Amino acid sequence: MADLALPTAPGRVARTARTWKLRISATLVAGFVLAVLLVPPLVGLDEQAVDLGAKLLPPSLDHPFGTDDVGRDLLLRCVYGLRVSLLVGVVAALVATVLGTAVGAAAGALGGWTDRLVMRCVDAFSSVPHLLLGIFIVALFRPGVWPVVVSVGLTHWVSTARIVRAEILSLRARPYIDAAVSGGASRLRLARRHLIPGVLPQAGLAAVLMIPHAIWHESALSFLGLGLPTHQASLGTLVQSARGTLLAGDWWPTLFPGLFIIVPTLAIAGLAGAWRERLNPRRRSELML
Amino acid sequence: MLELLSLTAGYDRRAPVVRDVTLTLAPGEAVGLLGPSGCGKSTLARVAALLHRPDSGRVVIDGEPARGYRHRAPRAQRTAFGVVFQQPRQSADPRLRLADLIAEPLRATGRPEGAADKAAETADTVGLGSDLLGRRPHEVSDGQLQRACLARALILRPRYLVCDEMTAMLDASTTAALVGVVEEYRRETGAALLAVGHDRVLLDRWCDRTVEWSELGSRHDGLATAKPPAEQSPSVR
Amino acid sequence: MTVLSVRGLTVRFRMRESAPVRAVTDVSFDLAAGECLALVGESGCGKSVLASALLGLLPGNAETAGSALLAGAGDDPATDLIAADEAILARTVRGRRVGLVPQSPAAHLTPVRTVRAHLTETVRRLTGTRGRDALRTATEAAAARVSFPAGHLDRHPHELSGGLAQRAATALALVGDAPLLLADEPTTGLDRDLVDRTVDELRRHTGATRALLMITHDLAAAARIADRVAVMYAGRLVEIAEADAFFGTPGPRHPYARGLLDALPERAFRPVPGRPPELAALPAGCAFAARCAHADTACATQPPLTGGLACHHPHTAPADLVHPPQAAEAPGA
Repeated sequence: MADLALPTAPGRVARTARTWKLRISATLVAGFVLAVLLVPPLVGLDEQAVDLGAKLLPPSLDHPFGTDDVGRDLLLRCVYGLRVSLLVGVVAALVATVLGTAVGAAAGALGGWTDRLVMRCVDAFSSVPHLLLGIFIVALFRPGVWPVVVSVGLTHWVSTARIVRAEILSLRARPYIDAAVSGGASRLRLARRHLIPGVLPQAGLAAVLMIPHAIWHESALSFLGLGLPTHQASLGTLVQSARGTLLAGDWWPTLFPGLFIIVPTLAIAGLAGAWRERLNPRRRSELML
Repeated sequence: MLELLSLTAGYDRRAPVVRDVTLTLAPGEAVGLLGPSGCGKSTLARVAALLHRPDSGRVVIDGEPARGYRHRAPRAQRTAFGVVFQQPRQSADPRLRLADLIAEPLRATGRPEGAADKAAETADTVGLGSDLLGRRPHEVSDGQLQRACLARALILRPRYLVCDEMTAMLDASTTAALVGVVEEYRRETGAALLAVGHDRVLLDRWCDRTVEWSELGSRHDGLATAKPPAEQSPSVR
Repeated sequence: MTVLSVRGLTVRFRMRESAPVRAVTDVSFDLAAGECLALVGESGCGKSVLASALLGLLPGNAETAGSALLAGAGDDPATDLIAADEAILARTVRGRRVGLVPQSPAAHLTPVRTVRAHLTETVRRLTGTRGRDALRTATEAAAARVSFPAGHLDRHPHELSGGLAQRAATALALVGDAPLLLADEPTTGLDRDLVDRTVDELRRHTGATRALLMITHDLAAAARIADRVAVMYAGRLVEIAEADAFFGTPGPRHPYARGLLDALPERAFRPVPGRPPELAALPAGCAFAARCAHADTACATQPPLTGGLACHHPHTAPADLVHPPQAAEAPGA
């Protein structure tokens, strides 16, 4: 039997489709990250360079994405914009995740009145639409990167807190926690050895899933004129400043920054989806005994 | 000697699943506790192993009352019990390799030196090959994983074993093998056993005496008067 | 009439870091209408993989060979469950032609939906019943078939006792009137009374027209309802026998099957010595030889399954020696 070539089971088809989705997402994310990291130091062009003689040129070989209303190269502006937006997204997602994990873990692990108090706060937080709350927070500061990070971070920890708390509660009910208690584990060791490693994958997934969300929020705030100052290229400010040109029939200053919001965020979400798939315990084992 | 005195316990004070139960394990005695699923016998097992605080009643371990439950119990009292549960998959942290799973109690109680060797040795006594120790729980079968869970329960050399439906998920051969391991350990150490289950034939064969759950709740101190094991036939068939 | 005919079924898992795992090797058997076949063996012997293969639910790293022909209704052609693609299996086979009684009904039912919602959806999908009243009637009829109390239909799975949850799952498996029922460890973790009731119901629903393949490690459940018993060891069938002969006299012929029965607490309560082999590192010859008291040089070659037995040294003792008086041995000795 050893040399018998066996055909592949039908289940493999679905798996191949998933693999492709993962590959495309990973390639896109890698491409965008490389562009963001390498283009500014390598190209050396000034993305702020105004060239009124070349304003609002449609896409061409010289300017693949065209130019904006003061003649700046849109491809360069988009890359710079993505750089800022990604930075804001990643940092804001990290802030939200750290905050949410700490709150959720405390509520889940301590239980009792701590849990009730914390969850009341969480409910109160989530009863306010978070874009509104975000606008309120940025309005307290001068426009800039940090107010946006703080605003997105402070409005998005709630869902992570919920996820982490639920995960901790479900972990705490597992018999292996009983076994660890019976084996003499202290509270600290229980948390360090079993609970925290148990929620880290979920928290990490929540963080990655939040990056696209944070980018959208940054864009929305900037589009409303409340986020980043307009001279600083971010995906939101780019779309915002293109509003006037779109009405005149010039589509490229809106389309390309728009695509730069949509494609990288979808690619990141695709990666996160593949990760979630791996966390699913039923898929974790390739072999069912 | 382990005394469970008028225990009432559950997850909702208004509806306890264990009501005023008294049960005594003589030194070295093996007691089978027989009852249908969902009757509360697992809760009683958790109280007995100091893993669940009863609403009322006392647990007395070798003449010394339990000073608390879960983390409130002093470590020496907690680790006097080795527990094995029904579902090995739920009882093993999926991230730990079997070697670490078995050695974990040694490390948690501040005895990390030689823990790996001790774990390998204990794994051998429960019939777990050393080739499996590097694997994680999802890479072994239910039977192999339950062997690892039994090894973890034995590694601190507990004076009491609490086996809650330990063999319910297992085939006949693995069941007989695990019961054999427990009995060998008890012969060596004189540990007492509380085996909870729903299979009368198994418990009768395994234990010195088998107690019906239904008899426990209704009679207040029924089993405090039970004969010591020496006066009973070793294997009631 | 043969409902299921399995020939040379082999399943291997390709592993990233180690040798392939040979979970099922060259398994062949037939299953007739009105018959109950119990597939027994130790945990990890490959019996669950066999069930997954028959349902087309193997993971992506599985490779298969052989066939499992499921007879078609009337003049319809048979379907090869191993070769059929996912779309066909999902649309025409699972539920309609193979009913699955799951291992853990609590996990099989969606926790947020009532039993009625589960049943109604399955009735609509499998029988094409339309219209509110017709669906309601059909749903209640499906529940009544397994004596599921109508008053409990609007409960959620977690509000049911283990027995009722098992009945709900059985009701779902029966809706499609599938000619083959596949029960994968249907009694795991249940009380003895509940085990008896569950398997009795399965047997009753098998009737004269259906076939039941029950995969179990519970020998008592198998003894209760099976017509035939198939013993699996290290991925191979080592013995197929009539249940009466297997559990009664003259008893099993394969040394492993005898060991398995001897492990029962009502018999010698003695485990089969040694450990089951790794499915990734099976010997060339008989996989049981390393644990077998009768093994000799002949066992270095794989014994073929002939006459329902794959062994070079089968047990042939006269009937009166098969069951020595049950000595009161110490447990686990």
